[in-house]
Amino acid sequence: MGEPYLELHFRKSYPDFNLELDASFTAGITAVFGPSGSGKSTTLNCIAGTARPDSGVLQLWDRTLFSNENRFLSVNRPPEKRRVGYVHQDGLLFPHLRVRENILFGYNHMPKHRRYLQPNDLVRILEVEPLLHRMPATLSGGERQRVALARALAASPEVLLLDEPLASLDLPSRGRILRRLRAVHKETGIPMVYVSHALSEVTAIAEQALVLDKGRQVALDTPRRVLHDAPVLPLLEPAHMETLLEGRVVGHHPGSGLTEAAFAGFTLWLPAVDRGEGEEIAVSVPASDVLVAAEPPHGLSARNVLRATVSALDRVGDSVLVSADAGATVLAALSPEAASSLELRPGAEVSLVLKSTSIIVLG
Amino acid sequence: MPTPEEYSVLFLSLRVALVGTLLGLPVGLTVAWALAKTSMRGKVLLDTLVSFPLVLPPVVTGYALLLLLGRNGPLAGLQRSLDVELLFTWFAAAMAAGLVALPLMVRSMEVAMAGVDSRVEMAARTLGASRWKVFTGVTVPLAFRGIAAGTLLAFARGLGEFGATIIVAGNIPGSTQTLPLAIYTNLQTGNDDAAVRFIVFSLVLALAALLVHRWLIKKAVA
Repeated sequence: MGEPYLELHFRKSYPDFNLELDASFTAGITAVFGPSGSGKSTTLNCIAGTARPDSGVLQLWDRTLFSNENRFLSVNRPPEKRRVGYVHQDGLLFPHLRVRENILFGYNHMPKHRRYLQPNDLVRILEVEPLLHRMPATLSGGERQRVALARALAASPEVLLLDEPLASLDLPSRGRILRRLRAVHKETGIPMVYVSHALSEVTAIAEQALVLDKGRQVALDTPRRVLHDAPVLPLLEPAHMETLLEGRVVGHHPGSGLTEAAFAGFTLWLPAVDRGEGEEIAVSVPASDVLVAAEPPHGLSARNVLRATVSALDRVGDSVLVSADAGATVLAALSPEAASSLELRPGAEVSLVLKSTSIIVLG
Repeated sequence: MPTPEEYSVLFLSLRVALVGTLLGLPVGLTVAWALAKTSMRGKVLLDTLVSFPLVLPPVVTGYALLLLLGRNGPLAGLQRSLDVELLFTWFAAAMAAGLVALPLMVRSMEVAMAGVDSRVEMAARTLGASRWKVFTGVTVPLAFRGIAAGTLLAFARGLGEFGATIIVAGNIPGSTQTLPLAIYTNLQTGNDDAAVRFIVFSLVLALAALLVHRWLIKKAVA
């Protein structure tokens, strides 16, 4: 992990809860994860300057965004002077401007010497070229979010805040935006703060994760470690747990109507996708749809059977979450009875059974 | 068709109402913005103050303006240094028209601006736009129809202004005698035919204003 770029040491009180943070974000993508009402959005608002902390210090690289530690030198930069990009879950495009003017809005407000991202490049990376002359009201949810991303980045911010950018999207759009986001991060190197209540998004994209609960900072570490933190587990909802995998299309099987794709360490048969060999693909496997067998199973109708080693067992709600290493980590949710009858423990060899039809192709 | 004398009354009325509306516009926009978009202290006071001309008899509003513009009023020094005297000029009539119409203007604009999603305005701030740029580039364009409707309503109200006008501008034919004053004078002097002709002109203007206003409001809602 790199240098810290964002220092957050502040508190903000509301009648019903207090947010208290003491965190350093290191360059890359930092996920802020927690149930609703945990203070995720308030955190972003305090960084962007649309909410004012009660006390403390916020620093972005070497610039102080907010400080009232010293009352003679208190600082509270207005949002337009922070150079913080903000993408809201609803996009919040300007409804009276065409896509092109939306994207240029922030660009035009930035002095020339501060512009380090060019709208042309963003239009290319985010694939919004065909949309440039459309009005926001005519865009689909996924298109709207890509435009919102381009607009925020065109202002050449020093950090990009993403507030549940996928929450209002359907599954295929989610995958596409996630892929574009990572491409943007790779090409521009801009640090991102990614707020989500979906753990799968967090583990898929982030290098660092901050977990909040009722305004308290519960954990700050790599997503993998955070996932197995005892105080974090009660915050996870078994229904939302899934494994996100990225790989490439290997081939199609016309007879069965399935597509084969290779991921780190194994291949899977998926519902047929309209994509050529070698193309990238992202899929989601709900943890509750993964079966765990202590012995290699015989005579199964399911196509996908993976050999894996159990790396961790965690109690999440009413289920046991099994993390199994099959080259990539795959999550499986079992009932406690099933887990104990299988005598699962870390290091145990198991087989994972995934029905092709339970695999969701994201994009 | 109107006679040349009638034309001059019509043009004077339109000029008075138009200039009055233009004078009210910056005040109306500022007040409406403050009421719709800020949480400043004294909002109730401001709201009450701009609503006064709506509920006070226009003669009282006119009297307040008379005190303001009079020889001992707070604007006396400014008028002296500019070597102008505003009382009993068409400009005073315009000020009266603008002031009396201000509450109508503010009300429409406030509603329209309050309807603009403040999260979109905040998004503009994070994109580097100052409060002023957000106002001119986001709030006003998105509230445009409501603002236009309020402006038109104020113009129509200004055309009909009588009470405050007669106090600050008098009833001088060719100089401050607007449509309503011409109707009043002709009725008082038993010149009923002339009065009726002015009444018809008033009706036509009012009807036109209302039709355009209706169209603006309908589009704003749709």
